Amino acid sequence: MDIQDEIHDQLSRRTFLGQASAGLGTIALASLLNPTNLFGGASSPGTSMPGENPAVGKPHFPPKVKRVIYLFQSGAPSQLELFDYKPKLETMWGQDLPASVRNGQRLTGMSAGQSRFPLAASKYKFAQYGPGQMWLSELLPHTAKIAGDLTFVRSLHTEAINHDPAVTFFQTGSQQAGRPSFGSWISYGLGSDNQNLPSFVVLLSKGRDGDQPLYAKLWSNGFLPSVHQGVVFRSGPDPVYYLNNPPGVDKTSRRRMLDYLGKLHQEQFKHVLDPEINNRMAQYEMAYRMQTSVPETLDISKEPDYIFDMYGPDSRKPGTFAANCLLARKLVEKDVKFIQLYHQGWDQHGNLPNDIKTQAKSVDQPSAALIMDLKQRGLLDDTLVIWGGEFGRGAYSQGKLTRDNYGRDHHPRAFSVWMAGAGVKKGMVYGETDDFGYNVVKDPVHVHDFQATVLHLLGVDHEKLTFKSQGRRYRLTDVHGKVVKPLLA
Amino acid sequence: MSELILLQANPSSPSDWVLFWGHFHPLIVHLPIGFLLIAGLLEIDRLTRRNSVSPHTITLILFWSAVSATMACVFGYMLSLGGGYEEETLNDHMWEGIGVAVFAWLAWSVKSENLGRIFSFAQLMYLPALGIALLLLLAAGHQGGNLTHGSDYLTQYMPETMRTLAGVPPKMKEVKFEPITDVNQAMVYQQIVNPILHSRCVQCHNADKSKGGLRLDSPEMIKKGYEDGPVFVAGNSKSSELVKVCLLPEDDDLHMPPKGKNQLKESDIALLTWWIDQGAPFDKKVSDLKVNDAIRPVLASLGGGGPIENGATSVASGPAPDSPVLTMKVPAADSKVIDELKKLNLLVLPLSKEQNQLEVSAVNARTFNDAQAAQLPKLSNQIVWLKLGDTEISDAALAQVAKLKNLQKLHLEETKVTDAGLKQLKGLAYLEYLNLYGTAVTDAGLAELAELKNLKTVYLWQTKVTEEGIAKLKTALPKLEVIGGISEQAVAEFVKVAEPKGEAKKD
Repeated sequence: MDIQDEIHDQLSRRTFLGQASAGLGTIALASLLNPTNLFGGASSPGTSMPGENPAVGKPHFPPKVKRVIYLFQSGAPSQLELFDYKPKLETMWGQDLPASVRNGQRLTGMSAGQSRFPLAASKYKFAQYGPGQMWLSELLPHTAKIAGDLTFVRSLHTEAINHDPAVTFFQTGSQQAGRPSFGSWISYGLGSDNQNLPSFVVLLSKGRDGDQPLYAKLWSNGFLPSVHQGVVFRSGPDPVYYLNNPPGVDKTSRRRMLDYLGKLHQEQFKHVLDPEINNRMAQYEMAYRMQTSVPETLDISKEPDYIFDMYGPDSRKPGTFAANCLLARKLVEKDVKFIQLYHQGWDQHGNLPNDIKTQAKSVDQPSAALIMDLKQRGLLDDTLVIWGGEFGRGAYSQGKLTRDNYGRDHHPRAFSVWMAGAGVKKGMVYGETDDFGYNVVKDPVHVHDFQATVLHLLGVDHEKLTFKSQGRRYRLTDVHGKVVKPLLA
Repeated sequence: MSELILLQANPSSPSDWVLFWGHFHPLIVHLPIGFLLIAGLLEIDRLTRRNSVSPHTITLILFWSAVSATMACVFGYMLSLGGGYEEETLNDHMWEGIGVAVFAWLAWSVKSENLGRIFSFAQLMYLPALGIALLLLLAAGHQGGNLTHGSDYLTQYMPETMRTLAGVPPKMKEVKFEPITDVNQAMVYQQIVNPILHSRCVQCHNADKSKGGLRLDSPEMIKKGYEDGPVFVAGNSKSSELVKVCLLPEDDDLHMPPKGKNQLKESDIALLTWWIDQGAPFDKKVSDLKVNDAIRPVLASLGGGGPIENGATSVASGPAPDSPVLTMKVPAADSKVIDELKKLNLLVLPLSKEQNQLEVSAVNARTFNDAQAAQLPKLSNQIVWLKLGDTEISDAALAQVAKLKNLQKLHLEETKVTDAGLKQLKGLAYLEYLNLYGTAVTDAGLAELAELKNLKTVYLWQTKVTEEGIAKLKTALPKLEVIGGISEQAVAEFVKVAEPKGEAKKD
């Protein structure tokens, strides 16, 4: 049988079933078996189309935030060396973590077998900065200078204890792979504010050997239409793979090729009615426009020296965190909605004091510079910058504890994230952990709450942004999440 | 059994299909009523007058009674998934309805001699089964009426004389509350708390019906409490049953008002909480009590002009309210005009799904110029956010921009706009955000902004504005935030930091 006929057959069978199952008997039975989800509950039985949700492409209410830059710190930065000041760890240095604090909670296999859990204090000193007298570590001297612009959440907690599920949880709302990522949801829910650039762009800063890996699933569109997947912009002269015309093909012939290809696609769509054909056409056209818009947007040759100086010396080296921060600003200037930046190298199980010093240095100045740069350009008014990892690190030393050296294992029960920009209270510190930075004692914020809050700032009701797949409606926040209202300005 | 389990699943939103068929319940439900009554009447007739109708006729009627009763059960169940019914009555009604169907089937199977062949004594069950089916029918019908029309529907207009005979309580007097004209002067109990209690609680907690021994219809009775103690602890809402039971999950047996009844609004609970925290006074005005940030908007929503005064201490204000241009109603934009703007490569984006306010962005139209700007005033009601940064516009375009009376945010950065252009923006009463970085604006232009009373932030990085100019503007607009940006010297200062030492303390 011809493949065309086969698809036709399937379609008509599906249509037939869709209509036949509207029969009285089936419905009565189906509703008794599953009262909530008869035909998915909506008035439009059948397959989900991109236009299915009427809210798509428009916020539910006026947004405070138009764009997000997410500076994701992969590997889990230690909140105890950077953000969450715990003098008690100093006085109890070397003593065992009280069992009442751990309370039988699980540890990773990497430290669960230790005979002792000696408390390790931060080797680095803390001081108070900014109008809000916010505690910050000496590892972040530049960040300290913009303390007044920061909003801290010290009480985040997550469900995963290992990197991959934890990063996936933050980025997709589920520990298992396959759901759409944060940026894809936003692209799907809010559309684009620039017709010539994708609304979800991913920047990866170069990792070092042994860093926790990052996978393309983290910026995948999951079951959303494929136009919403994150587009990775690489460093160097060719930021998007295969974007430039191959040798021998000029702009005119590319245009003509796309025109004919478009006609073929339209023809195919008429027969097959597969929405992914439209998505593919949209992608081709977007790529064509990006041939001009990407080099133009990412051109940093006209940036004055003092801007490079502000982001730090690394900003001249393509592929570094600093260079990517500068690119993130360039993209935000062009109204790209969601810029997901990944920085690797925070997984300090051992040799933490030395490693975190190098690592903090690579992000401190560029992160602060980005905030200042956005501010002076008037972009911080409707851009939200998020800085944080997938979980925190524990109060006790993994491996041998000495005054100069120690390590910290994964800790999902409490960690810190900061935000800067639109819609959140400047200089606020939200939430509190116990004396060991181990458990949240005040105002806990779950990952789903955090996601719900960011969506709220973008003008989206996280309970209403849904997509039906495999017979069920999905959200970024699954069936959880509460907007953290005290954070909102 | 499966019915029971499904009931507990408490579906939050059944599908439209379920409710669609559910709404057929009131129609279908009358069929078994008619059929069964006819079957009963014919049976009586047959017992008294021999050979009136054939047994076969009654069997047929019973069969359709059973079928229609079963369908009524299924549709009724679907209808119940929509919620909004009083749980207890609903449960009774459901089991009575199922009973009708079961006994109707039983009566039919005996009558049709299907069972008779198996059990010899089956014939003995016929009349009891039909009788029970009829009794359950009456009960289920009555409960169904109560569910649909309310339990007082039948007796609503019962004359007083008959009420006393039937033991029905006298008509409830309609309680009238004095409307709030000025919320600051409103009596907290009489005009705020009591109306909430009367609308949601007093129905079951009054002189005639005091569930749990509690009456909430007068201050004395509220103070008296319920059978297990007081309902509130003055000054401590967290220990007060009155608030606690409202905050329990709706599924909880102790949740008030009971599931299915009209629920308290979030603002109602907030007001009760606030009242108790303030000592639950019965004779105070709003202005006598301390108004905190949380309750201020709730009180304000009760109406009566004027800002909320604060009796005790002044508390810092909460989140800044949204600009009126974001909440006002504006007419929908003409789609033809929007299409014209789109032809200029402008993006025209609605602020939100349910609003007609628009954001217009020239991010894809870098060649947007003064001549094209003449199109903008066609959307003078709708445009609230306008992004013209990095385009070819100059002062002439600002004459058009000035007509956009609802502008809240205006981006003019990196354009040829000068002081002369800013002069024209004076009429933009709602303007809060003005981005002028990278323009040739000077102190003279800045002075023109002094009349923009709502201006909150102005961006002046890389302009010719001086410190004196900014200081001058700030005397006119003290709350204005001026973002000057970073100079080369400031960058040099920012870059300099101390190396973290990380010296460990000695043991």
